[in-house]
Amino acid sequence: MIELKNIFKIYETNSIEKVTALKDINLSFNEGELIVLKGASGSGKSTILSLIASLSKPTTGEVIVDKKKISKLPDNFASIYRRDNIGFIFQKYNLITTLTVQENILLPLIPLNLNISLAQKKLERVMKMFQIEHKKDSLVKNLSGGEQQRVAIARANVNNPKIIIADEPTANLDKKLSLSFIEIIKKLKSENKTIIIATHDPLFFNLDIVDREITISDGTAIL
Amino acid sequence: MKNSFNLYLLEFAINALLRQKSKNFFIVIVFTFLTFLLTSVFYITNSIKYELDTTVDTLPQLIVQNMKAGRHYDIDIDTVDEILTIEGVEDAIPRVWGYYYFKKADVYFTLIGVEEFENQYTKTLSNVVKKIDFENSSYMLMGKGVKKVMHENYYKDYFNFIKPNGTLKKIFLGKSFDTQTELESNDIIVMTNSDIREIFDIEENLATDIVVKVSNPNEIDTIARKIQLLYPTARVVTNKDIKISYQNIFNYKSGIFLTLFIISLFTFFIIIYDKANGLSSEEKKEIGILKALGWQIDDILKEKFYEASIISLFSYTVGVTLALFFVYILQAPLLRDIFIGYSALKPSFVLPFIIDIQTLFLIFFLTIPIYISATIIPSWRVATLEADEVIR
Repeated sequence: MIELKNIFKIYETNSIEKVTALKDINLSFNEGELIVLKGASGSGKSTILSLIASLSKPTTGEVIVDKKKISKLPDNFASIYRRDNIGFIFQKYNLITTLTVQENILLPLIPLNLNISLAQKKLERVMKMFQIEHKKDSLVKNLSGGEQQRVAIARANVNNPKIIIADEPTANLDKKLSLSFIEIIKKLKSENKTIIIATHDPLFFNLDIVDREITISDGTAIL
Repeated sequence: MKNSFNLYLLEFAINALLRQKSKNFFIVIVFTFLTFLLTSVFYITNSIKYELDTTVDTLPQLIVQNMKAGRHYDIDIDTVDEILTIEGVEDAIPRVWGYYYFKKADVYFTLIGVEEFENQYTKTLSNVVKKIDFENSSYMLMGKGVKKVMHENYYKDYFNFIKPNGTLKKIFLGKSFDTQTELESNDIIVMTNSDIREIFDIEENLATDIVVKVSNPNEIDTIARKIQLLYPTARVVTNKDIKISYQNIFNYKSGIFLTLFIISLFTFFIIIYDKANGLSSEEKKEIGILKALGWQIDDILKEKFYEASIISLFSYTVGVTLALFFVYILQAPLLRDIFIGYSALKPSFVLPFIIDIQTLFLIFFLTIPIYISATIIPSWRVATLEADEVIR
């Protein structure tokens, strides 16, 4: 379902200095799989997630999702692809902290211009699913770390995407909240979503729900 | 199941503005003040231009004054007969008039004398003459401004003018009269020539100046030259000269406004410069987040367009409405005095209601598109970057 072919990603920090984040990555992920990308900070895990979500484009190589070369998509089509297929849970959640919980969750639906009852239905479904209903009118900046993460997960799922991507989801959580996140992931896997998690948190290693663990080291995948 | 107009986007734009209340409030204040000031200046300008043009139309076509040692002296009435011999001159009217300083109120009145059977040189005077009872002398009609000053100083029945020899001349107060324009004669007092002569001690064979009417208005300059040839030391003033001097006063006054205008424009462009120079890291990150969540570039630009439109249209509407209220209802206190404060009695001048749609469009196009562009262009720059790059 998701294929990364001969991927190189080079960042130009300035006109002279270049950083090679990924070197000849070849990976594929099947539908409904839960994959953990593990590796040290700066190894290239987040870059892989970013390419799959079409948040950036590879320097060379191809990213193919459902037989579509998404790495070649123009910016506007890439946005549509993300909106329809990807639920991204960022490491620092990337919530708009001055908005309320429900306003944040509704953000991906705004460009769809759905009628109000349908938007409300989608909102209520995810708020209930991720147990954040009681905080719907609270400003995100007033929530705890765990609550903020649940808002980020609800937002990533509001459009019911096929692919869930999580970048270091437990980096800012204590063990109890991290375990609660794993429960949420189990729930999402049961809905046959493809889940890719980049983490160096040992809690995710050797978990029975994880289908595959891929180690990323210095921009290359160790299979 | 899509609606045609995206209300969510508009709602998001309103929320975005409210999230940065203090910053946007400052922009609204500056924008509104600029629009208010610009519109007020244009409203006042249009009204005064209209008033001046109308006033100039009521002015004599030519005035002949006797000059000696660079100063204005009374002119011999016999001069009238000689002027009347010039071809193209329709009429020549000797005027007896002068300024009278009323110390108690620290104002000057313009005293104008009239004769019952003489032609008058303005419509106002022609109307006023009909109201004067020439049988009973020592009686005056006055402009509304004069009447107000008289009442404020408890002169209700008569007024004692002090003559040059120190004795008093008692003049009974008559009615006030309306003038064609407010600028024309708010400070005017009209009475008989004989009373004026007595008050100013002007001899019977002299007049203050002579007003000349010309049959063909195109010939005014030619007639003026002919009079000048006849009386080389006299000063011959055409209505065009007076119009220029009025405009000079007006232009000088508007210089002060220009300063105010430049200051507010400068402030406005600092905001524009600040906005155009880029977004804060917070704003950039927000655009990155929205893109990551599936917003397209045009969704982001639309939202920014709504934000800028709300601020600019709101400020423009409030500014224009406030200016309308300020100029025509409150009569532009402070600002009006800068423009028309050259006479102590002029504050009672009423600005005629003149709305020029073209001016409103000009202000609209000078401010709103600039502000919208300054908001959208930096957002477009960020929105076209890769979302990953913006978020990082």
